[in-house]
Amino acid sequence: MTAPDLLTRAPDVPGPRRLPPLTRELGLLAALAVALFLVPYVAGEYVLQIGYLVLQLAALGTAWNLLAGYTGMVSLGSAAFVGIGVYTVAELDNHSSLPLPLAFLLAGAAAAVFALLVSPAMFRLRGLYFTIGTLALAEALRLWMVNSSLFGGASGIFLRSRAPKSYALYWMVLGAAVLATAVTLVVLRLPLALRLNAIRDDEDVAKQMGVFTFRTKLIAFSLSAFLMGVVGGIQALNLGVVEPYGSFGLSWTVDIVMVAIIGGLATRTGPWIGAAFAVVLEEALKGYAELHLAITGIVVLLVIRFAPRGVRGTLTARVRPRASLTGDRGR
Amino acid sequence: MSLPDTQTLLQAVSSGLLLGGIFALGALGLSLVLGVMRLVNLVHGELVVLGSYLALALLNSAGLDPLLAAPLVFLGVAALGYPLHRLVLAPVARSGEEGPLLTTFALSIIAQNVFIQVFSGDTRALDRPYTRTSVHLLGITLPTVYLAGFGISLAVTAVVYLLMTRTGFGRQLRSSAEDPTAAAIVGVNVARVHALTYALAGGLAAVGGILIALCFSFTPTSGTEYLLVGFTIVVLGGLGSVFGTFAGGVSLGVLQSLGAATLGDGYRTFVGLVLFLVILAVRPEGLFRRRMAA
Amino acid sequence: MSTTRFTRVNVAVVAMVVASTSALAACAPGSSAGGGSGNNSTDPIVIGASLPLSGALAGFGSFQKWGYEHAVKQVNDAGGLSVGGVKRKVNLKIVDDKTDPNQVSSNIKTLISSDKAVGLLGSCTPDLVNPGAVVADSQGLPFVAGCDPLEVFTGVKKWTWAWDIFFSVPELSASSLKAMDELGFQTNKKVAILHDNGPDGKIVGTTIWPQMARQSGYQIVANVEFPVDNADFTAAVQKARTSGADILLVDCVTPQAISLRKQMAAVGWTPKVMVNEKGAEPVQYAQALGSLADGVIVGAYWDPSFPYPGAKELQQAFESETGRTSSQHIADSYAAAQVLLDAISTAGSTDPQKINDAIAKTDKDYAVGRVTFAADHTAKIPVVVSQWQSGKPVIISPKDRATGTALFPMPAK
Repeated sequence: MTAPDLLTRAPDVPGPRRLPPLTRELGLLAALAVALFLVPYVAGEYVLQIGYLVLQLAALGTAWNLLAGYTGMVSLGSAAFVGIGVYTVAELDNHSSLPLPLAFLLAGAAAAVFALLVSPAMFRLRGLYFTIGTLALAEALRLWMVNSSLFGGASGIFLRSRAPKSYALYWMVLGAAVLATAVTLVVLRLPLALRLNAIRDDEDVAKQMGVFTFRTKLIAFSLSAFLMGVVGGIQALNLGVVEPYGSFGLSWTVDIVMVAIIGGLATRTGPWIGAAFAVVLEEALKGYAELHLAITGIVVLLVIRFAPRGVRGTLTARVRPRASLTGDRGR
Repeated sequence: MSLPDTQTLLQAVSSGLLLGGIFALGALGLSLVLGVMRLVNLVHGELVVLGSYLALALLNSAGLDPLLAAPLVFLGVAALGYPLHRLVLAPVARSGEEGPLLTTFALSIIAQNVFIQVFSGDTRALDRPYTRTSVHLLGITLPTVYLAGFGISLAVTAVVYLLMTRTGFGRQLRSSAEDPTAAAIVGVNVARVHALTYALAGGLAAVGGILIALCFSFTPTSGTEYLLVGFTIVVLGGLGSVFGTFAGGVSLGVLQSLGAATLGDGYRTFVGLVLFLVILAVRPEGLFRRRMAA
Repeated sequence: MSTTRFTRVNVAVVAMVVASTSALAACAPGSSAGGGSGNNSTDPIVIGASLPLSGALAGFGSFQKWGYEHAVKQVNDAGGLSVGGVKRKVNLKIVDDKTDPNQVSSNIKTLISSDKAVGLLGSCTPDLVNPGAVVADSQGLPFVAGCDPLEVFTGVKKWTWAWDIFFSVPELSASSLKAMDELGFQTNKKVAILHDNGPDGKIVGTTIWPQMARQSGYQIVANVEFPVDNADFTAAVQKARTSGADILLVDCVTPQAISLRKQMAAVGWTPKVMVNEKGAEPVQYAQALGSLADGVIVGAYWDPSFPYPGAKELQQAFESETGRTSSQHIADSYAAAQVLLDAISTAGSTDPQKINDAIAKTDKDYAVGRVTFAADHTAKIPVVVSQWQSGKPVIISPKDRATGTALFPMPAK
């Protein structure tokens, strides 16, 4: 007897067959990317910093969505993958002169390798067990980083290279967000998407139908880890000094879940919307230093209560007539 | 790394065992909520801390001893838990299980913020005459409060076990856990059972918070730590299993103190988590779980 | 049918994102990197600070916030800060960093770019000060911090724009051993060390204390390291106790310091001397422990009794305004803010370079004593040794600063 999947009732996701052509969506993404690429030419520092935060969360949310939204593996271990990315770039920065893009790819690769290594243990866990297991995994890694002196221990590492300009950091993280979204768009058109969805709906049935569930889950898990590692790598440059409490902190995990769920789980644009929402809310509440967290909490409560399918999901529900809603898989 | 002598080891293991039992009470509610309504209750740690603060407030204002105040604190937090579930958690539970997850997270940041506003960010502790004494046994020294806390935790666990197995509410609770739809068909008010379970879980967490505050110190943000320890205990013991949770707590305490004694204190929590992951991989249903609830 | 709807939504979303970005861009401030908000202008001068107002270090944040606000309020009450012959009001922007280093970094960036801060004030503890200092250093804006032990601060990098006013770790750690000699404590000279594995705990516990102890003829009989967030100390206490040490040296943060002291009492062990650096310093330590705090020794860098200008008044102002017991952190934060404000005034301009040059030349008595910066951008606050006695910190060493006599040996209960 296994625990039932967390995500038996997914929001209205069309099967891969019902998606618009890939070229059209990639075209839209490219248009968005170009528009956002041009922002530094017209906007000031502040917008770039806010843009960085939005795109960072959009990229992370998209990566998490690939795993949780489309595969039903609700992970609370994101901090581990981000942290590995952070430390990979910090170490590379101090011990090599690799070009940045390569360093970011290695950061992603390191996170993906970690995902690969822990997958035999993690994949024995289903549903809630997986969720809690990933939380414990990330926490274990954080504690190890704090206690082991291998990577600077609790004192952390200072990056020798001077921090890049805001626009450069913005472009880097824009690249990561576009990459994450493009990966999602492509994956959704592959036969892989069918297998991911089958696992989400019922892993046992999927297995009986002949899906190699382990391999399929591993692809989603390591892809997601890779993308988070890349974002972590960029964050290392952004910070300039890294230490384990912040790099492997639970706040990454929580922010990612918040962004993805507020935006709308298993939607392609949800994480972007959720990221913009979370960052704008945070900025708007900056003036209430003592109470901003409580207010954020209340706003999140209200959004979940009154837009349970996320902002994106609710938007779709408004546009689509009710008939097709009930006729679809969404309930 | 040199191996510690028997005496040190015995000391470490016995205090680990007692503490594990105490933390198990803090985790029992988490286990019930997970097992019965499949809710990852991220605000659980704050319910534990709330218990600590309420006991401190009663001690400072009315001079009430924390252990005597425990029933009051239990009822107070349970009375908060019931409407919390009814009005805030139940409505979002209808649209899937990740909504409640995030809702409990939102509640946890609200609670931490409220604690800071009301009690300030200072570290607090419950200090009583009996937290300053100890018992000497076989050459090892055990704080009295560890022994008392362990006893209370075991007694409360037994009461909850009886509640689950010998009462009508317990039957309703178990049937709601196994199959909510079937339970509803045979006339169980599942929504009410869920809310009552949540209230019970909150009350238990608060009593656990009193015990923890007697042994250690606490701050507005201590809840996050308790939550992680709680999850480890719950998964070791098996979701929703009452004595399993207790056994999970005890074994975590022993394993951690063994790890700390051999590898150094720095690796205490780390060792606990790694062992937890290994056990999880080998035996996902928990070490002490026979079958369904109780 | 629904395919086109999906596309329509996606187009709408893309359009929305683009529109909102351009809207942001339109209402965005100019692209200058802050600091340049007009030298001759009479607009308020903006000072920015990121502080832990929530999360684990919120306790420190509340004191620092008051210290910063008090310094700014005094300037504004006097009509403003005199800059180049013009009185200008000071606008202090304080944002919460939730005790998260990532948040510090992003806070400092937006304080520079959005709020147009001309100078910045630090957070508390190395984990939260250093990320902010790194940002200020790379963006070229003066940053003054307290609450970051000097050696940890200088260990990060060679600073250009960041300044630190605090105590020196070796000096503070040595002070208690020196005090024991000065006060003539009769012990068996055996020392047990318990320390956490944080950046400063590690240096103090594994390097500084062992070295100092050996130099002064003490013998280290136990040395236990534990994680910063450790809970159970029974094994560590047992080890220290069985080692036969008369002197216990501890370095850890407050929650752990309180747990440790309780567990020592529970197993009935009272060493003759107990020093607990860092964690035993705030008054919450004594409040949480009651009589158990009595006799615990901790290095300190400030007390209202010190003969510095405004020291006594600072404590009175804090306690009458907030109704709370004061902490040393009101003094270093107050002094840090004053140093920055004075530098802006001396510079006669809001030009970052001029302000930074003025900070470097600081040489004045503040509430923490005389502040002058060394070449490594640190200003050392002299340390004293205090001991908890009936819930109050009493300075016991050096003798010319003492406000009472030392309790020795430490009372059992």
